[in-house]
Amino acid sequence: MTAWIDGRAVERDAAVAAAAELLAGARSPLVAGLVAEAAAVQVAYDLARTLGASVDPAASAAIYADLGALASAGAMATTPAETRGRADLVLVVGRAPWASGLARDLSADAPVRGRAAGRPRTLVALGGTGDGAVQHVAYPAGEAGIPAALGLLRGLVAGRVAGPHPLADLAARLRDALYGVVVYDPAEIGALGAEMLTGLVKDLNETTRCFALALGDPYQGRTAVQVSAWSTGQGPRVGFGRGRPEHDPWRFDAARQVAAGEVDAALWLAALPAPLPAWAGTLPTVALLGAPTGAEARVVIGVAVPGETEGAALWHPGRAVIAWQEAGASAAGAPPSAAATLADLHARLAAAPPRRSAATSELSASC
Amino acid sequence: MTTLTLRAAPPERLDLAGLTPAALAGLSDGEAARLAVGTSRHALALGDCFAITLDGSDELRIVGATERLDRIGAGLAAGRIVVEGDVGQRLGAGMTGGTITVSGSAGPFAGTAARGGTIRIAGDAAESAGGAIHGAPAGLDGATLLIGGRAGDRLGDRMRAGLIVVREAGDHAASRMIAGTIVAEAVGDHPGYGMRRGTLVAARHGALLPTFVETGRQDLVVLRLLAKSIATHAPWAAALLRGPMRRYGGDLATLGKGELFTPVG
Repeated sequence: MTAWIDGRAVERDAAVAAAAELLAGARSPLVAGLVAEAAAVQVAYDLARTLGASVDPAASAAIYADLGALASAGAMATTPAETRGRADLVLVVGRAPWASGLARDLSADAPVRGRAAGRPRTLVALGGTGDGAVQHVAYPAGEAGIPAALGLLRGLVAGRVAGPHPLADLAARLRDALYGVVVYDPAEIGALGAEMLTGLVKDLNETTRCFALALGDPYQGRTAVQVSAWSTGQGPRVGFGRGRPEHDPWRFDAARQVAAGEVDAALWLAALPAPLPAWAGTLPTVALLGAPTGAEARVVIGVAVPGETEGAALWHPGRAVIAWQEAGASAAGAPPSAAATLADLHARLAAAPPRRSAATSELSASC
Repeated sequence: MTTLTLRAAPPERLDLAGLTPAALAGLSDGEAARLAVGTSRHALALGDCFAITLDGSDELRIVGATERLDRIGAGLAAGRIVVEGDVGQRLGAGMTGGTITVSGSAGPFAGTAARGGTIRIAGDAAESAGGAIHGAPAGLDGATLLIGGRAGDRLGDRMRAGLIVVREAGDHAASRMIAGTIVAEAVGDHPGYGMRRGTLVAARHGALLPTFVETGRQDLVVLRLLAKSIATHAPWAAALLRGPMRRYGGDLATLGKGELFTPVG
């Protein structure tokens, strides 16, 4: 069974028709989640354009912590593969890189390419508890927290803060490295912290080489950033209410819009696992899910799991690109892909355009 | 005086950018009523939501305003906008002159990129009042922003010029500040994070960053001149500026030419 309306199992075609009906009647619909393959994310943007909907990926908090820093200060960034090949010093910021396993992976080998080839690789940690099985030197962030410690480290590296200090040794290590990499989770250190970290990396590049390495998020946020860039020219939180893509990270924050009563229907796309937002149960919602139970929203449609039950283009965290992932062994009997399901929904909505003129005249009296 | 009276709570956010006294002055009632203000595919016009009374004067009154009205006074160059009620985001964005007064509270990014004129908010302001929007080169950029109540986090974020006077502000006041002046009765933790230049005066403050260093007690003529210039706007701020001050320099994480003044003792 792959489709439900109000918790009752129905034919898939009936559920898609109900989804089209639910979304077509909305004044300010929302397309959220986007935890899916690149092709599905692409159709989700096309659908949003047709509907005049706003778009917000599940990964937005992490995405915008990094995009804010990128838009303000630029970036000097590298990939996990380059880090493994070239880095003689890796600074692990916070706790998340340890939890992800990336820090452990980087501790397993040493640089083989570039100016640091042949040197050992040293792991140092700032403000993280670390991993007892991985040899590293840990520096505490102090009570003020990681963003403040990053600022202090940046001041020490540039020589604007002098004198004996617990982080002075870490600053010296960064200056002495031939190819340093600073690993961080944007969601953990926030937009201000990410911008300060970028500044630290840029300052270090005055005299040596150093790069930032942001952890990917588990919700295909980086895919959404790329698809949004090539579809709208802007960041992923856009709204099509006025017919053109408007980028506004504050206005199109899904949680804010729902709390303020600004959306009246939603499509939640999560072909890969992601926490279901609380509003899926209260707002009229169509949920496209890779692992549905049928009770998540008013209309629930099961879709293939990309990279498992169908081949799909997904974010590859090691290579930091969108890459093809073959289907696993369990592909037989899987429901259609999220991209195909959304394309079906989009075709129905495009054939019967939203009922806007009638609604406008109704509204003139009520506004 | 030209008056726009909101008839009912709007069903969506409305964008009032460009609705200035000068822009409305040359319009007939019908033309004004057809100005697009909606943000959904329903294409709402001004006349759908507001009762409109035009008189061609340089004063615009917006009555019954709510937090769903975005960009009120954006681009204002001259004249006066008086808002009765609350406003949404980006109040007075990019304005170059004139005055805006709001009887209630403002959403985020009030006064963003405003290069001239005065904004007076009687109530509170949400985050990034006088701050930069995503990717913008500057927040407040020469205008004067007066907030009677409490401002949210990141007050004056990436501000480049101008003056903000506020009763109370959240954390990270004056973050990434490029230049300008902020006077507050109280600010939260870590004021001046990433501050390059500029001046923050606060009677009380939360935790200071390790990259701000005390540079001693100061008795500066410029603070007394500032007191004189803002005495009419905010007598309490003038009184604060006339007292003896301790100075901290920072943020040494960046350029470090900013300063935080706080009363001695």
